[in-house]
Formats: sequence, C-alpha cells, structure tokens
Amino acid sequence: MCLAIPHVIQEILDEKKAVALAGAVRTEIRTDLVDSLSPGDTVLVHAGFAIEKLSPSDSEELLVLWEEVRSFAGATLRDTSTHDDV
Amino acid sequence: MNSVTLGHGSGGRQSHELVEALLEGFRKRNIGPELEDAALLRGGYAMTVDGFTVSPRKFPGGDIGHLCVCGCANDLAVRGASPDFLGIGLIIEEGFPAGELAEYMESAAATCESLGMTLAAGDTKVVPSGAVDGVYFSGSAFGKVHTAHPLGMSNIQEGDALIVSTSIGRHGAAIAAARFNLSVDGLESDCAPLWPVVKNILPFEGLRCMRDCTRGGLGTVLCEWAESANLHISLDESSIPVEDTVRSLCDVLGFDPLYMACEGCVALAVSSASAREVLGTLRKSPLCGDAAIIGSVFRGEPRGMVSMKTSIGGERLVDMPFGELLPRIC
Amino acid sequence: MTSNVAAASEALKALVAAPISVMEVCGTHTVSIFRSGIRSLLPPQLRLVSGPGCPVCVTDQGEIDCALSLLETGAVVAAYGDMFRVPGKSGSLASKRSAGFDARLVTSASDVLAIAEKEPRKEVVFLAVGFETTAPATAALVLEASARNIANLSVLSFHKRTPPALKALSADPSLALSGFLLPGHVSVILGHEPFRFLSDLHGIPAVIAGFDPEQIMLGLVTIALQKRKGEAALRSVYGQAVRPEGNTKARELMESVFISRDASWRGLGVLLDSGLALRDGFSRFDAEKRFELSCAPGEAPAGCRCGEVLTGRIAPTECPLFRTACTPVSPVGPCMVSGEGTCGAYFRYHRANGGKR
Repeated sequence: MCLAIPHVIQEILDEKKAVALAGAVRTEIRTDLVDSLSPGDTVLVHAGFAIEKLSPSDSEELLVLWEEVRSFAGATLRDTSTHDDV
Repeated sequence: MNSVTLGHGSGGRQSHELVEALLEGFRKRNIGPELEDAALLRGGYAMTVDGFTVSPRKFPGGDIGHLCVCGCANDLAVRGASPDFLGIGLIIEEGFPAGELAEYMESAAATCESLGMTLAAGDTKVVPSGAVDGVYFSGSAFGKVHTAHPLGMSNIQEGDALIVSTSIGRHGAAIAAARFNLSVDGLESDCAPLWPVVKNILPFEGLRCMRDCTRGGLGTVLCEWAESANLHISLDESSIPVEDTVRSLCDVLGFDPLYMACEGCVALAVSSASAREVLGTLRKSPLCGDAAIIGSVFRGEPRGMVSMKTSIGGERLVDMPFGELLPRIC
Repeated sequence: MTSNVAAASEALKALVAAPISVMEVCGTHTVSIFRSGIRSLLPPQLRLVSGPGCPVCVTDQGEIDCALSLLETGAVVAAYGDMFRVPGKSGSLASKRSAGFDARLVTSASDVLAIAEKEPRKEVVFLAVGFETTAPATAALVLEASARNIANLSVLSFHKRTPPALKALSADPSLALSGFLLPGHVSVILGHEPFRFLSDLHGIPAVIAGFDPEQIMLGLVTIALQKRKGEAALRSVYGQAVRPEGNTKARELMESVFISRDASWRGLGVLLDSGLALRDGFSRFDAEKRFELSCAPGEAPAGCRCGEVLTGRIAPTECPLFRTACTPVSPVGPCMVSGEGTCGAYFRYHRANGGKR
C-alpha cells in the first residue's frame, strides 16, 4: 500500500512545498508532514508528500543484521561456488 | 466486449481482444492480415497503416508529424522494406491553429527527406470542435522488400537469440513525464527512423524477425513472439538496457520499463550463430550503441511464455500488461 | 545475484526446516516480491501468503458503487491510478470515464486542490483510499482546503487502518502463521507500538521491512531466526526510515482531521474502528454528507471468494471463479484487478505450471 521513493531536497519553496530530485526526476513535493527540512536532505516521498527524513543506509544496526545473516549462510555458501558476487 | 475502452488501445492483452473482434469478418472470408507490423504483399512489397493520436503533440524528442513518419517507416523497416512511399490522412478539429499544423507537416517532410521517402498521397478532413482532440494523423506506407526470405515470427526457433537495438521505454517515459508534469533532465523520446539501422542487418541469413516495440513495450512484443511460436523465451534482466532517466521515471510512477512504449527501438530474433555479428553491426549505428543480447528461445516449459532471470538472481514470469498502464501509489 | 541476497537465500535454506507460512501484509511487498523474483530464491518449505494490505483489494464493493454514483451527478471524481479498474456493480472509474464521465487520475492529493481551483463551477470529489501511509496527505489536503475556504472540494474517505485487520487475522486460530512481514511505510507513520500485540500477545514473530529485495530477504531471515530460536518479538530492519515512535507530526495531522469508525473490508467483514471518517468540524468537506450518500457495504459478487484468498485461507485456485468468470481481462473481485494481487499473480503462475502450484 505504499510505493515511496527517496528524493533529495533541492530547494525549499515554503513551509509546505519543496523541489526534490528522485534520480533524474525533478518534482515539486509537499512537506506538510515532515519538519525542519533543508536542501540536501533525503526524504521518502509517497503520493507527492514527504513522509519521513531518511537516515543513512549503511547504519551500524543494518551491518550487524547482515553479519548475522552471513553467519548462517556461511556453511552452505562455502559449498556452492557458482554464484557471481556483484 | 461490449464497448471499446482505452485499455483496448494500450497494446497489451486487451488490444488483442479488440483486434480479433475487428478481424472476424475478414478472417472467416480468408482475406485477413497476418499480425505483423507491416504486410508482405505479392510482388515483393510491404505495406502498413498506423494511427497517431499522441498527446501532448509536442514532446521532448519530437512531435506528431515526426512520429507519424517514423512509425510508418519503422513498421516497414522491421519487415525488411525500405520506406519508399507515404500517405497521410489528417483529421483536424475545427479551430485548430494553421501554424501548428504547418509545423507538424514541416516536421514530417524533414523526416521523409532524411529517409528518401516520398509523400505520395494525402487526405484531410475537418470535423466539428470537440469531435477529435486537435488533430489525428493516420499514415500508410509502402516500400520494396529487400530480404531474400520473408521475416516474421513464424521463423522463430529453439536456440535463437533475442536482441534489442537500444535502451527501452524512452518514448513512453517521456510522454508520461509530460502528462504528469514531471521534469526529467535528459529524458527524450527515442522516436527515430529505423531503416538506416535495419538495412545493414538484412543480409544476415540468421535474421528471423524484427518488431518495432511501440505500445506495450518490449515485454508485449516478446510475449507475442513466445505465444505465437509456442516456445519459451528466457530473458536476462541485467542485460536489458534501460537508461537511468527512464528507471527514475518508472520508480516514481510505479511503472515497469518492460511495458513502456518505444518509438525507435527494434526487437530482433536471430539465429544463435549470427547473434554476435548482428550485434556488432547494430552497434556501429550511432543510435544503437547500447544494443544488447537480452535472452534466448527454448523449447521447454513454460511453453508460450516469457520468463526472466531478475537482477537479484531470482526468476519470474513476464506477461503482457492488461490494459492501460496506470501510475500507482501502492 | 547480490551477495546479500545470496547470503539471505542460503540462510533461509539453513534455517527453515519444517514448513512455515509467513504473511506479507502489504500489497507493495507483494508487487516487489513478484517483480524481483524473490519466491524462486526461497526454500520450498517457506510459504509466503499475501495479506489484506492492498487498499484496492479490500475496498468494499459498496464503496466503489458510491464513488461511481457521484460521477453520474456530473462531479469530477479524482482518484489514484490504482483505483481506476476496481469493479463495482455498474462498472469502474475506467469504464465510466470511457462512457464520458469525469473520472480523473491524480498522482497526489495536492493535484485535487489544483483541479478544484481551476474548475470552480464543478464539484470535485477526491476518492481517498489507502492506509496510514496515505491518509496524512488527505488530511493535509482537507486542512488546506479549509484554510483557503475552497467551496467545491470534498473527500470521499475510504481510508482504512492497518492494525484492526491484523488483529482480526491474528485472532483467527485457523490461520497458522509463523510470522508477519510488516508494511515498512505504514510503520513510518505509525511506528512500532501498534504492531507489538502480534508478538507480545499472539507469540508470532513480526518484522517491519522496507521494499527493496534486500530488505525483504532480511526481514524474512529475521523471522526465520526468531522461529528457530523460539522467540517472538517485534523487530524492524528498516531503521533507515522507521522511527520506533513513527512520524508524530503526520499522525497529529491525521488525528486532527479524521476520526475512526467501523468499516467493511472485503473478506474480513466489518471491523470495528478500522476506517477513517472526517471529523464533524470538516463536514462540509465530507462527500458522504455533502451528497447525502449512504455507502452501504455491498455484497461480494456471487461465488467470489476474494475474502478467503486475502486472509490466506485458500489459494486462488480453490475459488470456483478463478480463470473462468474471473480473469485479469474481466475481473470479478479486486484480488484479480490489482496488478499483482494474489489472484492476478497466481493467474500467471497457474498458466506456466499447467495448473500445478
């Protein structure tokens, strides 16, 4: 129920609108739902409205989670060497 | 089917339903067409008919006049015919600015000139205000076939390779961006004549068939081929060229690039032996630097269907889109 | 294959021994899972069940008929693209548009304001559908329309709340689920608390995940890990976007405009407090009051077992209408309409596997 894409704020227009960039798409978004935005912030945008400011994707927490995944995968991965790591 | 809907015009399964319904009378009298982009006629010629109702009429990368010529010429090109003659029928809304009409005709004339195509016939009709949206172009093209053997999907066989001549979905994405007021730097329709590209690969004996990927995009063409040949087409998602601009636009609106219309992209089926050479020849054309081999044809299950190895290494089926492509928020 | 996805796939093979079922609640997860080909990377013992988190799929037929009736009054009815093909008794927004009625596709609630301003002589109604991710935007629209005294705009709110549906599902003992993959973007708004009852009360692992393949795989491994350790906790792997307290500002806006009411969900029946209606202070923007509509729940079309499919009780192949009266080209229930709804997705696989699943 929630297609939402990261957008980088380019310009704050007023307290309700900003110009943002999602990859190559430049669009005007509504900022009613998120406070204190500045150019350079990355926000999650759903149906034209920013719904949250995103924190960096390489957080400590996430790295730890993936470490645990790898530890369980470890035994089986060592046996099969046909996957190409991208 | 009680009445025609916009979905019937979108190039996917619903369009098939409409076409079959329309052709019934002809089929039962055995005077119906094959379902290819252009028809091969007795005497070594090809012919096509195409309609152009694009809105907006001017878009990044072209306008309706240019599109009309390219669309018709490309239908001929993919059956191995040169774009020799064109006929244009205009249906014009009362009150339409003459200057704008002249712009589109100038555009069409310039494109014809670049192709060596002659405008051989034309017609105009003016209808009351509101009866059409501005102006509709109808095109008919006719040209000499330059292949020794007829190109068509009945030639497709097990082991064949599938090639796409350029990155996909640029036209559909450009139109969607204009329609939904999204500004996308560097996104332009790929609308372009294909004959200059295609004529260099006609000599290849391993060339089975080609198709202009218009409404419904690459995905629809490949599904039609798989169904018609009753073979299994397997694609490699990572090999399919998609520009970042198209990807971004699709991400924002919730579209799948596989189904976005192209107007300057050819899908080809070729023998596996000739694939590398055909690719090399294509890539020499300035418009086809990103041409790529994207998949193969197999005999096994699922027969008549298209599957795709995804970019994360999984596998999924690719089906025809059902009706209009609609932006989603879910 | 990305190395993270490969690792997750291997981890699941190692962790999932006995057959388990995990419900992926959200329609957007269903689409992402399909498009990325994740199912082919899961061990056969891990069964993914699509839940009722598709606002299109759970829209009651009566609600659709209400919207269509407004079109017939000459009003502009604006809606997100997802809603256009959902069938009511007398057609859909798409078919009504083909018949000349003014159904308009919008990609944002703010588009509706623009339409209302551009066409002051027309009644403009926003068919507002969606869960808590989408409702705050509608709230912002209503607040702006109110502040600017826009006289020709109203909202037909069929917004629904996610936790009541999950409460109904988890209370059903016949629904044997080993885990819930929770909707990442609803959680952005609501935070963790509204979902905690799943683990704490019902002892079912519940993990909030985002929508890219890595997030989904990580979410599934986290569930499998909990299952293996005999744990049941609410976790989130989507810390990048989901704060434990959620988006307070969005919730406040939503609460200032909406009040909860009972709503009818296709497949689940009437769920208490599961819908969002405009508060009395905004009555003039409430299309139901403005046009004196009574949007009574409709009956599901005869034979349609969409509800049981939505709650994971039956596979689409067990519905008598599947592939006969109900196909993507002529859908009976919303499960088939929605691009990648359970029945739509099954339709493809069913064709491919010659009827086996």
